[in-house]
Amino acid sequence: MPVKTRVAITGVGVVNAGIVGDSAALGAFLAAPRLAPGVADGDVARVPSSSMTGVIDVGDARRLSRVCQLSIAAARLAVQESGVDATRGLGLVVGTEFGDLASTHVFADGFLERGPSGLSPLLFPNTVMNTMAATTAIAVGARELALTLNAPTVAGELAVARAAAAVASGQAPAMLAGGVDEIDAVVERVLPALGFTGDRLGEGAAFVLLEAYESAQARGARILGEVAAAAWRSLPARPWGTGRRRRSLAIRAVLERAGIAAAHLGAVYSSASGDRRRDAWEAAVLSTALGPEAPPAATLARLLGRHAGLGVLRVAAAAWTARSGLLPAATDPPTVMTRVWPRPGLVHGLGRGGAHVALVVAGA
Amino acid sequence: MRRVVVTGLGAVSPHGIGVKAFWSGLATGACAIRELSVIDTEGFRCRIGGEIPEPVAGSMRRTRADRFALAAAEEALTDAGLAPDEREEMALIVGAVGGGMLEAEEWYWATSRGRNTRPVPAVRSVLPCAHADALAARLRVRGPRHTVVTACSSGAVAVAEAAALIAEGVVDVALAGGVDAITRICFMGFNALKLLDPAACRPFDRDRRGMSIGEGAGFLVLEDAAAARARGARTYAELGGYGMTTDAYHITAPEPEGDGMARAIRAALRAARESPAAVQYVNAHGTGTPQNDRVEARALERVFGAGAALVSSTKSMIGHTMAAAGSLEAIATVLALGHGMVPPTANIETPDPDVHFDCVARTAREIALDCAISNSFGFGGQNVTLLFRRR
Repeated sequence: MPVKTRVAITGVGVVNAGIVGDSAALGAFLAAPRLAPGVADGDVARVPSSSMTGVIDVGDARRLSRVCQLSIAAARLAVQESGVDATRGLGLVVGTEFGDLASTHVFADGFLERGPSGLSPLLFPNTVMNTMAATTAIAVGARELALTLNAPTVAGELAVARAAAAVASGQAPAMLAGGVDEIDAVVERVLPALGFTGDRLGEGAAFVLLEAYESAQARGARILGEVAAAAWRSLPARPWGTGRRRRSLAIRAVLERAGIAAAHLGAVYSSASGDRRRDAWEAAVLSTALGPEAPPAATLARLLGRHAGLGVLRVAAAAWTARSGLLPAATDPPTVMTRVWPRPGLVHGLGRGGAHVALVVAGA
Repeated sequence: MRRVVVTGLGAVSPHGIGVKAFWSGLATGACAIRELSVIDTEGFRCRIGGEIPEPVAGSMRRTRADRFALAAAEEALTDAGLAPDEREEMALIVGAVGGGMLEAEEWYWATSRGRNTRPVPAVRSVLPCAHADALAARLRVRGPRHTVVTACSSGAVAVAEAAALIAEGVVDVALAGGVDAITRICFMGFNALKLLDPAACRPFDRDRRGMSIGEGAGFLVLEDAAAARARGARTYAELGGYGMTTDAYHITAPEPEGDGMARAIRAALRAARESPAAVQYVNAHGTGTPQNDRVEARALERVFGAGAALVSSTKSMIGHTMAAAGSLEAIATVLALGHGMVPPTANIETPDPDVHFDCVARTAREIALDCAISNSFGFGGQNVTLLFRRR
């Protein structure tokens, strides 16, 4: 959607295998990037339960599923950093690929083991994918629109794009945009058997707090960056497949709306994650859209594992790069830094099946 | 902001395949809730629901829900008279909850019994986004595409999302709707919550005991009014506005005063620049659970005043079709405007004295309508109201 009102990023919250905290924690990680535990061994980058201590209280920990806890913890960190007053109007968009499948399996197992008497009424709501958005809305007092968007690979960036549109069009004065995923044992077992190999998988949650730039300035909020333009489109592909078409309507739309030429982008954060066919397709799309003067590119999946939160993290990271002029290098793993022009950057995501998102993110 | 109109409709409902069968069932007040055959209900207190009564065409390699979605989407596009090149850049917004869970459950059940442990392709379709992926591939859609999951309001949210994309000028045309097939998880879950009536549901009845589940798909083609006029499209109605709010109160229970619901209705009125007095008909969420119907009636009374509009529940005839409910009910509302007829609330024997509205018991009512709303609410306090005007 066209971004009419300027959209500022005023808060960041991250809980994953390598980072726990707000924009300062993200900045510290990006300045000295390292492999999250698990990724180096080709395993899933899991979030230790101790990561949520201090953000999730004992009652929440007992009552809520793990993926809901991840979502709430990251959302609270973002709200806390922004200092926004939820009672003045706060909405929420959560992107996720798998939702709370772990609870779904436990719910089904109850029936399979004990019949109808084994079904838990407390678990059933978690089988619906909006459970993270619902519990997070309650936790932070978000009473405007609350959406859950489901997509492979690009759910996080899509959530930011949709939330930015809500702020820009005046649907809500402030929006939390986040991504969250948890790797459940059945998913972990099934994905390779279905032919998905090479992907570096992770889990966790990340949120950014978006609000109208002028409002943020007026209340004295620290502005961490700006979503200058956002668009999402489809590229032709079969479900779970990759395609051949390279011409990106989404990238063209965001560059036009942001009023920036490809050659003037400072950096690109892509969704490459080790899935060879999808990574090759995305590289071809980026190369076609940005041409020979394409700026340096980075991906965070090689450090932290792919999950819906990573799309949001890339948006926050692009704002940091636009401020600092530093970019994790496109080595594998990207544990060294490259100096880039401190300019607006492109955040790009392309999922199997052709869901396709682009954002232009500027520094403060 | 551009005006948004409805130019195409498609439905697969417990009344049958196609919009004609859907409206015929609604207009006659027929209740399509019957014994379920798609899943095993042995041992459960409730054994009925609104099931699609006939086979839906399409490859059996597709999930049951995908076949519903494709049938309804293709009917809507044909109805709108859009040529393939006119829809290539349209938006595709799908509301979904269960995805291909029905088929994935078969695999999981078999696996748990030690059989057939190799994942079947259907497992890939378990996610709600599988429908949008299948539709995009089949219909060659290149425009904005996303899948919204807001529990039982998903279908209505999809329509609202599509309207936003058109109003903001991102696209001229959008295909939007919701889809769900009955699944074991869903049936068992509502049983576990004791929210299912063993008999066909009776929304707004004093003695209502719960809901009936259902399945189906409803898709609408929405267009920029000027673009639709320019291509000479037939227009069913204008989507004048919508409102989306969240209770932020409880994961399953609605906020008892209906505050979130009332805010959604008021937001839709505000967006459409209509006064409460303009609304003649409310297609209610009306599930038949004691709590939902009481709170919804409370919200309606707060906004419109007692008795100010006719209220009826489509779910009384087809059950609660989950993610499809909001879009099927949007279609019902659009058709009510066009036909000048309010579909009834079936199965009412004794109107609830605490519901201060005429709930159009058992028989449809002919009345010239200019403005109507459709309410949809979901777990997590996800409230949506769509406001339609006759064109």
